[in-house]
Amino acid sequence: MLTTTKQELKSFEELARSFAAKELAADREEHDRYPFGPFFDDVLARAYEVGLLGATLPEDCGGIGQGISALCVILEQISAADASLAGIIFTNALAQEILLTAGGKNLLAAVMEKATDAPSALIAFPSFANPSETGVSLEAVKTNQAYLLGGAIEYVVLGGIGGHALVPARIKGQSGYSYFLMELSHRGVAKSRPIFSLGWHACPAVDLTLAGVEAKLVGAEGESAQYFSRAADRMHAAAAAIACGIMRGSFQEALEYSRQRFQGGREIINWSGLRMILGQMAVQVKIAEMLVSEAALAVENQTPQWNLCSRAAALHLSELACKLTTDGIQCLGGNGYMKDYGQEKRFRDAKQTQALLGLAPMRKLSMIKDMLS
Amino acid sequence: MIKPREEKSLLEREPRFEDSFCSIQAIPQIPKLHLKETRTLVSYARRFNDEVVRPLALKTDLKTFEDPDYLPWDIVEKANQWGFYTMFIPKLFGGQGWSLPSHAYVIEELSSACVGIANVIFVHYLGFVTMLASWNLPLVNKICRDVVAGQRKGNPCLLTLAITEPSAGTDVEEVELVDRGKVTCYAEKVKGGYIVNGTKIFISMGHVSQWHALIAYTDLKKPSENTVMLAVKTGMKGFSFGKHENKMGQRACCASELVFQDCFVPDENVLVDSRRLDFTSQIRTTGELVNQLIHYVVEVTRASVGAFGTGVARGAYERALKFASETEVEGKLLINHEWAQIMLAEMYKNVIAGRLTYNEANYSNSLKGGIFHFLQIKPLYYYMKFIPQPLIDMFFVPFYKLKIASWLIRRIYVEGQSMEAQKRCSGWSSIAKFFCTDLGVKNSQMALEMMGQAGLRHENGAEKILRDSKLLQIYEGTNQLNRLNLFNCLIARGVPQARVFEE
Repeated sequence: MLTTTKQELKSFEELARSFAAKELAADREEHDRYPFGPFFDDVLARAYEVGLLGATLPEDCGGIGQGISALCVILEQISAADASLAGIIFTNALAQEILLTAGGKNLLAAVMEKATDAPSALIAFPSFANPSETGVSLEAVKTNQAYLLGGAIEYVVLGGIGGHALVPARIKGQSGYSYFLMELSHRGVAKSRPIFSLGWHACPAVDLTLAGVEAKLVGAEGESAQYFSRAADRMHAAAAAIACGIMRGSFQEALEYSRQRFQGGREIINWSGLRMILGQMAVQVKIAEMLVSEAALAVENQTPQWNLCSRAAALHLSELACKLTTDGIQCLGGNGYMKDYGQEKRFRDAKQTQALLGLAPMRKLSMIKDMLS
Repeated sequence: MIKPREEKSLLEREPRFEDSFCSIQAIPQIPKLHLKETRTLVSYARRFNDEVVRPLALKTDLKTFEDPDYLPWDIVEKANQWGFYTMFIPKLFGGQGWSLPSHAYVIEELSSACVGIANVIFVHYLGFVTMLASWNLPLVNKICRDVVAGQRKGNPCLLTLAITEPSAGTDVEEVELVDRGKVTCYAEKVKGGYIVNGTKIFISMGHVSQWHALIAYTDLKKPSENTVMLAVKTGMKGFSFGKHENKMGQRACCASELVFQDCFVPDENVLVDSRRLDFTSQIRTTGELVNQLIHYVVEVTRASVGAFGTGVARGAYERALKFASETEVEGKLLINHEWAQIMLAEMYKNVIAGRLTYNEANYSNSLKGGIFHFLQIKPLYYYMKFIPQPLIDMFFVPFYKLKIASWLIRRIYVEGQSMEAQKRCSGWSSIAKFFCTDLGVKNSQMALEMMGQAGLRHENGAEKILRDSKLLQIYEGTNQLNRLNLFNCLIARGVPQARVFEE
């Protein structure tokens, strides 16, 4: 949908679509075996080469310098095939977004300048948690040269593969929390084994234990709740795009299967009960496409209440994606439950996506809080 | 107040009293000891959960990802030691003879801890009920005695149902569809038996079972009237296992491919052949008898899947409750956020509503014409409960081979089940199946919403519950098929112009 209103995004759509078809679709099941199978380093490397990891990264930091619309177009196409790579792109873009929001462009530029390959260009981030909701478990101690981080933090996405991590910590003696950029190769960093999660298997997360890890403060001390909130407002549109892509992928596979599978002597698509499910899915996919377009445009144009539009799109579509992917499996019957098909993965990935950026119920409550203020 | 004839007429209106209030009709007829039995069984299941299921649930699930060839022999052995495989087999066949309707409560208990492991146990009873519905007493007795011996010797003997085919899932569950479906499992009648060729898929626990109730067809052009159910034993020549599926959830319970290549099954292993019945029904055609057989099975098993769904809904609720009780959000425990309390109340309600529904389906099965009815007739129930097993073996078993025994059992179960009773039982089991399993998925989704990031992690268990729950909407007939069956059984009868599977 976005590409009909913004023709210049066509090339990104085509890039992501062909990448998904060529690199993701055929080996989806194998990629999904991680951490019990190999990680798809080669796919990640090619994603880095073609610029998928730097869509919203400013040009002077080595990125493509596009807005949220381009990111949404890319994520939607990638997620239709395999949302794990979309998770990697999303998490990295979210970390970049927070750095930029906090005025840490120089830090970001330094990371990218040193990056020699995909892993070293990735910035790990706990993208499923809103520190204001769940609290902050890391503590930062200010020294003459830098801040030293200590403590444990859970579920740092890309923490096992990225070169850097952006983590929240509380500065000793202060209220609020601050973001810190740290190198994951620091000797004081202990990483858990990859966390085995519901979905996004090839977008790995780890728990980190830090002991005296040097880190650089991002923005001002104790102000990071604002940075997170502002960045999350923009990135909610991207989360909505992931949900939309998963929905479209699920619908397309269900439609295709329904034209081939027979029941009662005819293709199952010719039974109106199943056709009604497909019809409902089609309606939901079209609504999702429109919603992502509007949310992305609202973010880019900073229209009144753009942040509420973005959040509403993510909350609604992630919920809808959970419902639609349930039907997506159902259309394939027993086959939909098996890993030979993509439907069960989309069902898991949709639920994983819903958990992005904090508890979904709390995000709904915050909509009202913001409206009232 | 009202004359008997008028009362009868008014209560026969839709919704019919007999179909709408099963529990109030059934409970007075059920022996009091049934309650005591159920209390004992539920407490036994809870102990099994504590000592076996919970310690193994996540560990086993993880093992299946690490080792795709894993088969649940270790769990089967445990369940066998605990006596689960003979628990609900009637003493008439050498089993422990616990009240069969109580099995649903045990399913709910075990499923609340792990629905995959609950299936490792109760898929066996899908096989048992299928074989039982053939009413072939000598053969059912022979197979059940193998199960009992398997428990005694520590060599588990499990039963399965093999019905689903690669190109026919829903079709093989409905006689009205099967003639138009692509069934391929062919049983050719030859001297002394049948030669079977074909493949069955998604057979739960196939690889670890010993006896398989195989549904095959002696004429692939008209399978509805040419259905044969054969008892096939693992190791028979021409019978082998193919792959077992890589499923999203319920991974402790393998789903197997069964391959038959010129597999000779002797006549003595025929549970039933619809073309070679030794009696003529007064109320059913051959196709309707096949339909009755299938529905006898699903009248029990779909209600049981309702119990699985309720158990999974309960497991999700319990995880969410524990999380909310221990986790602070915005500085206070989640359990003290009003929205969370409302969500938990909704989940609790779903569990209760599911339990009421599968119970009502089983009360329907306890009424006249239901599969539980006969064994719950009080004198018979108490007699079977307290008579020593050797006396049954001495005075009952020798009669199984007599024609009078076959005649009697068919009088009770085949001709004794009216079409109305069949529709009531089948309709209710479908309601339980799709209602409870939808609630199971719903609660699993809600638990993850409440838990956020923590819910995604394998070690916290909630994500496994969601993965496990989804299969419940698919097997024992998809929830869409079950809605159609409900329509067919309890709605269409009041609308003569209604046609099902004919659009």
